[in-house]
Amino acid sequence: MQIIISNHSKEPIYEQIYVQIKKHILTNEIQAGQALPSMRQLAKDLNISIITTKRAYEELEKNGFIFSIVGKGSFVSEQNNEMIRERKMQAIEEQLTAVIQNSKEIGIKLPELKELLTMLYKEDT
Amino acid sequence: MENVIELHHVNKTFKGFQIKDLSISVKKGFVTGFIGGNGVGKSTTIKMILNLLQPDSGSVSVFGLDYKKNEKEIKQRIGFVFDQNIFYEDLTLTEMKRLIKPAYKNWDDSLFHHYAEKFDLPLKKKMKTFSKGMLMKASLTFALSHHAELIIMDEPTSGLDPIFRRELLEILHDLMQDSSRTIFFSTHITTDLDRIADYITFIHNGEHVFTKEQNRIEEEYAIVKGETNLLDSDTEQEFISVRKSNHGFEALTINKQHTKKIFGDTVILEKPTLEDIMLYTKKGM
Amino acid sequence: MLNLILKDIYMQKNALFILLPALIIYLLIGTSAVWICIVFCIVIITDSFAKDEKTPSNLLLNALPYTRKEIVSSKYISALAFIFLVLLTIFLGNWLMHGEFIQLDQLLLITGIVIVSISFIFPFSYLFKSQYLMRAFIIGFIAYMVIINLFIPNLNDRIRNFVQTVLSFDNSQVYFIILLSVVLFYILSFLLSIRIYSRKVF
Repeated sequence: MQIIISNHSKEPIYEQIYVQIKKHILTNEIQAGQALPSMRQLAKDLNISIITTKRAYEELEKNGFIFSIVGKGSFVSEQNNEMIRERKMQAIEEQLTAVIQNSKEIGIKLPELKELLTMLYKEDT
Repeated sequence: MENVIELHHVNKTFKGFQIKDLSISVKKGFVTGFIGGNGVGKSTTIKMILNLLQPDSGSVSVFGLDYKKNEKEIKQRIGFVFDQNIFYEDLTLTEMKRLIKPAYKNWDDSLFHHYAEKFDLPLKKKMKTFSKGMLMKASLTFALSHHAELIIMDEPTSGLDPIFRRELLEILHDLMQDSSRTIFFSTHITTDLDRIADYITFIHNGEHVFTKEQNRIEEEYAIVKGETNLLDSDTEQEFISVRKSNHGFEALTINKQHTKKIFGDTVILEKPTLEDIMLYTKKGM
Repeated sequence: MLNLILKDIYMQKNALFILLPALIIYLLIGTSAVWICIVFCIVIITDSFAKDEKTPSNLLLNALPYTRKEIVSSKYISALAFIFLVLLTIFLGNWLMHGEFIQLDQLLLITGIVIVSISFIFPFSYLFKSQYLMRAFIIGFIAYMVIINLFIPNLNDRIRNFVQTVLSFDNSQVYFIILLSVVLFYILSFLLSIRIYSRKVF
């Protein structure tokens, strides 16, 4: 699992970790049930304080991405993972509906919209 | 969470210097950085934690134990590093080990040799030939050779080159893999703390200013920069202290969100360094 | 605490290696063993004390798992060990070279005088510093001279009389009284030193 943090970013370090691990989970790069490195190990590897990784893990747990077993460590959650995907899909549908509505209002046709979407999708990687 | 060190309402008066109603606690399993300028009471506080000084009033407990009853048991579990040479100058490292080793029940010779080798310390040279960095490494070697649960260090990085300061952080990270271990150390090189300290305890003029999670500090505090005409007696209340110049002002706020609400986009908010916080707090007092 | 006593002896090993053989040489020349022994004992003991007197050494000893009481006690016990080592050396030296045993009263005299001196030196040094001992000694000597000359011109005679009276007692009785008062003196000094040291600020 690759995590790259910037010490000069405006985003707090715990949030950078949170976002990146979340991305790894949502893209299935780390699978459900798989163990995350221990907070202390991750702190050492990233050369940051333990409380920072602890905070990131707490946020991940709070939002259902991971669960912890005392004495064993933290693992990627299973059901919640699908739930999150479902929730995301729902959000995407809602947002796309809004996009379609807006497009229709100013007369943008489907091929044109598709083209725009493809372009934006490719830009943001 | 469990506290390893607890000071309750500690007072101590010296000639021209005072520790006033100091209450601090150090959490088990974490690294706490102890900051403050020179002569504000950091060393005195550390000496009280090690029972080298007794407070005039108030209480000090370590591992939940009292020095009056459990002095030896407490000290068995502490590893210490001072910012000065505490070794007998005419003895070698091996000879010093001979004197120190029998004091500890959990002494581990293999650990001692591991660190002595890692730090390139000569075993057969007299301590008086050691440089400041070597003395610090020697202290650290002794502190780490008896499986101490609590490591207390007074200015361990002063006088060390940046490369060894980084190495030291590595070592501390390694030590902290064991969640029953606690590290408490004072420093005025605050950049050392960013990468290792979980909590920051800040004292000024013998008084406790705060103990906070490192993350919370950047959430609460901010450096505010803006044009001088934004300041009046009301808005200045918002800040701990303000530095004005012909080209604008710079100030420290303790309530970032509130400041954002008041000034909006008219000012720039920046993440403060610990040095900023120390400097502005000193000016504001 | 045994560690602390062993530490004191270990740290004086160089001094002992030089001074103890030197003692034998003095014996060979035939100088009065009593005074030489007293001087040697006091030199070794105060030197051992001075090594732990600096602030850094105090920081080290007090941060190690020892109590202040133990630190002071170890000094008083290792002083006895040093006296024993010196006495053993002259005892054996005399026996090997001259084929005779040193008289018991000589050994007792040495022990008594050294212990009484240390009983003064230790609390004084804990309170001030051992480097001021010489000054204190000179001031004390001047004060003594002044007292003799101005106030009690016959002080020396009185002391002599007192010693004569004591010596006119039965031998075993005298030994017992002297021994008892020396021991008592040492204990009082020990208690005083603990009191002083436990309040010391490094």
